[in-house]
Amino acid sequence: MKRRVTSLLAGLLAMCTVSAIADEAPNQPSASNAAGIRFFETQIRPLLAEHCYKCHGAEEQESGLRLDTFAGLMSGGDSGPAIVGNEPAQSLIVAATSYKNEELQMPPDGKLSDQEIAAIVRWIAMGAPHPNAGAQSIAPRSAIDLEEGRKFWAFQTPRAAAIPKVQNGSWPKAPIDYFVLANLESHGLAPSMPADRRTLIRRATFDLIGLPPTGDEIEAFLADESPEAYAKVIDRLLASPRYGERWGRHWLDVARYADSNGLDENIAHGNAWRYRDYVVAAFNSDKPYDQFLTEQLAGDLLDNSDDMSTKYERLIATGFLSLGPKVLAEVDETKMEMDIIDEQIDTIGRSLMGLTLGCARCHDHKFDPIGTSDYYALAGIFKSTRTMEHYTKIARWWENPIPTEDESIAQHAHERQLAQLQSQIDKVVARANDELAKKLGAGAALPKEPESQYPAETKAELKKLRQELTELEEAAPEISTAMGVGERETADVRVHLRGSHLTQGELTPRRFPLVMADDIQQPFPNDRSGRLRLANWLTSNDHPLTSRVMVNRVWRWHFGEGLVRTPDNFGRLGEEPVNGPLLDWLAVWFQEEGWSIKSSHRLIMLSATYQMQSGFDAPSAAVDPENRLQWRANIRRLEAEAIRDSLLAVSQRLDGEMGGSLVHVKNREFFFNHTSQDTTTYDSRRRSLYLPVVRNHLYDVFQLFDYSDAGVANGNRTTSTVAPQALFMMNSDFVIEVTSTLAERLLDRRTESDTERVEVLYEIGYGRLPTPAEQTRAESFLRRAEAALGREIEDVTERRHEAWRMLCQAIVSSNEFVYVR
Amino acid sequence: MSRRTMLQQSAVGFGYLALQSLLAEEVLAAKRSNDPLAAKLPHFEPRAKRIIFLFMKGGPSHVDTFDPKPALQRDDGKELPFEKPRVQFANTGSLLRSPWKFRQYGESGLPVSELFPHVAEHVDDLCFLNSVHGTNAAHGGALLKLHTGSDNFIRPSMGAWVTYGLGTENRDLPGFVTICPTLAHGGVRNWGPAFLPAHFQGTPLGNASLAAKQAGVSYVENKAMSRRMQRLQLDLLGELNRGHLDQTGPNSQLESRINSFELAFRMQGEIPTVEDISQETSATQKLYGLDDPVTEDFGRQCLLARRFSERGVRFVQVTHSDANVQWDQHSKLKEGHTKNSLEVDRPIAGLLTDLKSRGLLDDTLVLWGGEFGRTPTAQGRDGRDHNPEGFTMWLAGGGVKRGFRYGATDEYGYFAVEDKMHIHDLHATLLHLLGLDHERLTYRYAGRDFRLTDVSGHVAHKILS
Repeated sequence: MKRRVTSLLAGLLAMCTVSAIADEAPNQPSASNAAGIRFFETQIRPLLAEHCYKCHGAEEQESGLRLDTFAGLMSGGDSGPAIVGNEPAQSLIVAATSYKNEELQMPPDGKLSDQEIAAIVRWIAMGAPHPNAGAQSIAPRSAIDLEEGRKFWAFQTPRAAAIPKVQNGSWPKAPIDYFVLANLESHGLAPSMPADRRTLIRRATFDLIGLPPTGDEIEAFLADESPEAYAKVIDRLLASPRYGERWGRHWLDVARYADSNGLDENIAHGNAWRYRDYVVAAFNSDKPYDQFLTEQLAGDLLDNSDDMSTKYERLIATGFLSLGPKVLAEVDETKMEMDIIDEQIDTIGRSLMGLTLGCARCHDHKFDPIGTSDYYALAGIFKSTRTMEHYTKIARWWENPIPTEDESIAQHAHERQLAQLQSQIDKVVARANDELAKKLGAGAALPKEPESQYPAETKAELKKLRQELTELEEAAPEISTAMGVGERETADVRVHLRGSHLTQGELTPRRFPLVMADDIQQPFPNDRSGRLRLANWLTSNDHPLTSRVMVNRVWRWHFGEGLVRTPDNFGRLGEEPVNGPLLDWLAVWFQEEGWSIKSSHRLIMLSATYQMQSGFDAPSAAVDPENRLQWRANIRRLEAEAIRDSLLAVSQRLDGEMGGSLVHVKNREFFFNHTSQDTTTYDSRRRSLYLPVVRNHLYDVFQLFDYSDAGVANGNRTTSTVAPQALFMMNSDFVIEVTSTLAERLLDRRTESDTERVEVLYEIGYGRLPTPAEQTRAESFLRRAEAALGREIEDVTERRHEAWRMLCQAIVSSNEFVYVR
Repeated sequence: MSRRTMLQQSAVGFGYLALQSLLAEEVLAAKRSNDPLAAKLPHFEPRAKRIIFLFMKGGPSHVDTFDPKPALQRDDGKELPFEKPRVQFANTGSLLRSPWKFRQYGESGLPVSELFPHVAEHVDDLCFLNSVHGTNAAHGGALLKLHTGSDNFIRPSMGAWVTYGLGTENRDLPGFVTICPTLAHGGVRNWGPAFLPAHFQGTPLGNASLAAKQAGVSYVENKAMSRRMQRLQLDLLGELNRGHLDQTGPNSQLESRINSFELAFRMQGEIPTVEDISQETSATQKLYGLDDPVTEDFGRQCLLARRFSERGVRFVQVTHSDANVQWDQHSKLKEGHTKNSLEVDRPIAGLLTDLKSRGLLDDTLVLWGGEFGRTPTAQGRDGRDHNPEGFTMWLAGGGVKRGFRYGATDEYGYFAVEDKMHIHDLHATLLHLLGLDHERLTYRYAGRDFRLTDVSGHVAHKILS
């Protein structure tokens, strides 16, 4: 608050100065003011009239800016006030006319002369005297009203609401059900019936591990008559390492994870996989979310005692801050640095707080109470953080060394060898110098380059030793490293007018955005970036957003829609929660439950809300067509990874190996240089999570099936339905291969009849048995296909296999395979 | 927008009314089918219906092609008499004259260098934009700026915006096609949809590392099944899906997925037909230079562009790029630019001739250019560096003045100085020609309305015919 007050005060004071003088003698200006106004009338007004009024005058007000009135000058346009009295350097009109900022150059058809610009600077330095400066004070248009801003629901600390009363008291199984039911009842709606067991285990299995249940798992669940049967399924799934692969991947969407930089220079993030594996392990071990978040923002700053594996894990976690796409060949190095900081702020905003903080880089946020001073106060934290090794094109991101024990031993051995060789060289030189000194006689000084006078054999020996030294230096053992950040010299940042480092305004010491924090904050220390403090602030119990945003994400990934349907934007342009009391109850519960994500799965999945059918009901749909109130379960399409993984799973080709890298390009080398040759292969049978995520050229299956963009935090993937997806299912080698294997698998069951084979296929593909009509349809298709293939394939066995393959392909291409009910 | 306000806002012409009634049926059908790619009404009467973008990757030198500078010839070897830009890609030395002569062509008398003798014959149909400028001096940033309007944020490409704004005229083909695009320097971003729905992304045919002959759309060919067998299989799939839909009840996503397989089946029939240029007469093939190994590859791209355009594809891009950064002559300017222009000059001229003779040039807008121009000052002995400060692109057809020059660079060709046209202005102008107001063509994402032109962009009204 303090900073904002200061800047507002400065502005108001400037205005007051002008208005005070005007008030003093409205019709008889004082001598100095008269001179100022004369200056304005002779030097400034004509200039504005000639160059600016056409677009910023009575007729047109481009960008909301009007320069032909005093009010217009002071209140400014969309980008803020045009002038800040007495402060030319902070005045946008000076920034614009100076032509320093390539995106803001006014007038657009040619720069003003140096004298004209000097006149404007002088006029503003005088306090911008103007004849119409009246009694009324004019606030800048973009001034942020903090008190008003804090009233917005998302900026108020969540309080656990009381469990609401419901009419149908027998339905709820969990606290959340009361909230959902109360909401439904108030709209005259009733929840759907519970789903059957086959539907439930399929839903729960895809949901938690991203794979279909096996026949055995289904049978076991159907056979278990204990009341805990379903809870046992959930516990089994949560204990599976496949769980972390599924839910870790959700987080990787939010962390805009990728194995390449993308943007302009698409070089490999050769060590990004360590962060990916860290995330998978964190979910599998149910690492508390507050700790998970803190490690990603400030893992390098935590006290690790002497535990190397913990230390490394936390260093790897900070990869979160480094994974963003960067313009590595940006020629303007300062711009590159600020762009990288901007990407970090934007990611933290969206992923952790559900706020589009990046909007406040060039102007105060247009919709949320976040000012440029809030933005640049955060920028200071990242300006004080080492993200890059250097900024010279092609720039290099920073990586923290994390040597293994063997590597450390090798490294130390190498250092010793280097030292030995160096001392050997030093000895030879010392001895040769002694001999040279003797030769030159007592009292004579050594020449400037004594080596030139050494005997030939000494020269040769030195040459050889130095050659060895160079070779040894070059043969330094490789040390494992991880993308991540560290500390560097702390620095506060000035507000960049219109986002450009070439036009800087007021200094903004590091602090948290005022709308969510105290007006008066402890100053940040000069010897720390403040990332740890940022993490502590985010994970404090009274932070209005962190917990809400995460429980909403979990809800979104379970149900397909969040309670706030814009999970990455809780601001004014986001949606308000469908069920605010429920969101707040969950947010508080999550904190009290020690930020445990696995607990939140149990809470949600054991609820009656989760276990409803997805069946259609016309009267309910008439009231709530989008199912916002959750009167039924949503029908959801599988994500890109789940589609591919399921295809591999049903054909028994899935390789379950965990972790490590499948990237074939060395760290920092090009995925694509100018040759455009794509050498990445995706023919691995491992889970999709482990396939290379190449920005600018995602794997086809990812690209087609709405994978996250991998460049921007995204907790809300879209689901598109486009013809190229169908082409992939119809014609790709991948689908043809997996269905061919699936057909073989079915035909290998020699003891079974085709009827039984169709049953197996239905259970594999849909988790259920075929109806008699479906059974007949499948068998009649096989007969027709075999007959039709008679003209194309001579060999009977091959023909039979192809007919079965066609049937398998139809099954896995169908809606029932790729949609979960 | 109501029909009335739309009419009020448009230049009320019969053309637009006619177009409206023509489209009305399709638009209605689109609403019914909920099809995001169906043809949509523009904001006002369009001058062009589609775009062909001839992209010269690497940055052709404007002072050696379409922006002659007598002062540069005169002052060869002297220092540039004013300051170079604050940010430069590399260091350059003194002024370097153009090794090529310029000559005036056509009735307009506009000058073209020896590098483009065939294109020069069309000079009376061209509208030169001599004052284009960008903001990024590196290939990656400049490509992204040109294609998406932003060099550091992830934004939809202009082809995606156009397809989003206008839909496509042929539902059996994608709305946006890019032939042999480069995978470097932004790669897919340059034809990607970013946050726009996936429907609007460009469909690539091959990439820059492949010969145009090998370039085709992915997954339109089935190696396992004949079309007859696939039809049999798709009928079964249709039955499975309808049975499932009976179980779930009405669901637009499931229904649209059922339709997508039928559309895909039609597309895989149509696309190979478009790609098959053997249907063209030998005279046409020759017009594009397919008879000469030097021009064959780019000629094939241009011919494909026409074949896609005439079938209603909204935005077609062809890319002149090989395994190097084609037009990027940091050294050996003469050798490199001679080779490059030989490869493209005849095909481009052929495309213009062909479009004109088919009456397509009236409502097709052709855009030519690279991601930046080159410096009038020398890099090394015989090269030029990247120059985003001022360079030339040209337009032809669809609603632009013919035989016209717009804007100018300074006397040496370093900076745009007159009627400056920023990349944002170019985008605003292209959209305007298509009947789209760049300030109204918005998409709400993450709580904000985004535009191709961000918060900038002015339509260059002076070039409109």
